[in-house]
Amino acid sequence: MVTLLEVPSTHVNTTTPPPAVDPSAGRRASVDEESAEAIIQIRDLDFAYGANKVLHEITLDIPARAVTAFIGPSGCGKTTLLRCLNRMNDLIESAQITAGSIKIEGVDINDPGVDVVDLRRNVGMVFQKSNPFPKSIYDNIAYGLRIAGITKRSLIDEAVEKSLRSSALWDEVKDRLHVSGYGLSGGQQQRLCIARALAVEPDIILMDEPCSALDPIATAKVEELIRQLKTRYTIVIVTHNMQQAGRVSDQTAFFYLGRLIEYSDTRKMFSNPAQRQTEDYITGRFG
Amino acid sequence: MIAHNHILGTFDDALASLRNNVLMMSTLTERSLDRAVTGLLQRDDELCVVAIADDEEIDQLEKQVDKDGVDLLLRFQPVASDLRRVVSAMKLSSNLERMGDQAVNIARKARKLSRHPALPEAEFIEPMYRHAMSMFRDSVEAYVREDVQLAMALKPRDKALDEMNANASRRLIERMAHDPEQLRGYLNLMFIARHLERVGDHATNIAEDAVYAAAAEDIRHQPLTTGT
Repeated sequence: MVTLLEVPSTHVNTTTPPPAVDPSAGRRASVDEESAEAIIQIRDLDFAYGANKVLHEITLDIPARAVTAFIGPSGCGKTTLLRCLNRMNDLIESAQITAGSIKIEGVDINDPGVDVVDLRRNVGMVFQKSNPFPKSIYDNIAYGLRIAGITKRSLIDEAVEKSLRSSALWDEVKDRLHVSGYGLSGGQQQRLCIARALAVEPDIILMDEPCSALDPIATAKVEELIRQLKTRYTIVIVTHNMQQAGRVSDQTAFFYLGRLIEYSDTRKMFSNPAQRQTEDYITGRFG
Repeated sequence: MIAHNHILGTFDDALASLRNNVLMMSTLTERSLDRAVTGLLQRDDELCVVAIADDEEIDQLEKQVDKDGVDLLLRFQPVASDLRRVVSAMKLSSNLERMGDQAVNIARKARKLSRHPALPEAEFIEPMYRHAMSMFRDSVEAYVREDVQLAMALKPRDKALDEMNANASRRLIERMAHDPEQLRGYLNLMFIARHLERVGDHATNIAEDAVYAAAAEDIRHQPLTTGT
């Protein structure tokens, strides 16, 4: 029987690090031969809020089953780009992609034929502040399954347990599944939100500063969870915490003023970045 | 070199203090080596005693650099060139402390030699000393100026110092065969040559750390390329 969290066969397993950005090539972060291994392919992407262009010619390949961190100062466009990956920006009036494309597993996600609900099921999102529904722990996770038309109780039970186990929360809540999600600590609520995202069997999980409101212990638990999840999911994380980016990610992209400045292996980025702007930012000499 | 300031002035202050202590260690070590070898060549017991006593200050500075380096890592979690600068400063101080120990070793053996009639073979030591000290100064200069080329040139120079040491040892062994009564004195000179050869090794280590700090490149344990 196929379980709800079985890893789809479409996953491409790759450990190939992204090619470093070649400044002479207009900050392109990919080469064609690498594209086949990338689950997300962003090409020459421009994005604007009305007349205000906030992303400029972003080209980036994100490999499957790895953690990719987006870093950069506030307003550099990293969260906007993250939200482009599951079309969350569709909800903002006047916000639009003005050029370029984003393909996930080879499909242009902005194609009129793409079902946005299906896209967001495949590309889950965890936000800066945990946002559980005002429901029980169980129902928080079952919600997305029920929306997807799954009504069989045994299937939902199985998915709830599996999601909670995958988010390292099961042992802490198994005896109180039917109490409100609001009763959990901040760190537990964030892991509940991750479990909720996992329940609908995504390929990709987007995380927008998932630990910014958490204490160091809760942060460590979420980081450990990210480490475990990357064997099965592609994770893209926006973080302002350089140390966190260094700890959890396999590759890091640095953005500044809406442009991708550098994209490389995280170790390389934090030990010997290729671009002066990256060095200045990560060492705290920016501006 | 760092082009502009860190947003946190306290970080710049801490890094500058770390660096200043390393440079102070370097100055004291150079002075100790100079006193020890001058003490040997001029048979000046007092200079040797001062060189031995000065080691305490170098040892204390090494501990201070380690403490400040760990404190800096703990408080600021530096990355990229900042991290390399902290790590290399700590490694430099360790090498400088070992060089200070070589100065003490030389001074102790010089004192023993000065209790006996002068051996003309002590002159074998001077060219080795000049070569080792030139390597030492250039390695520190490479670290200060983040001069990768100057640092890279140290390895072949260390090879030359090794050869000088081998030559000196061979000649001293020959002398021992001819003049066994002075065996103890020749042995002390051989040890001193060996200590200077170790000074060259430490200078090479410092040059390697300078390259790491400046260019994030690990050139340790690489064979010398032909022609260098």
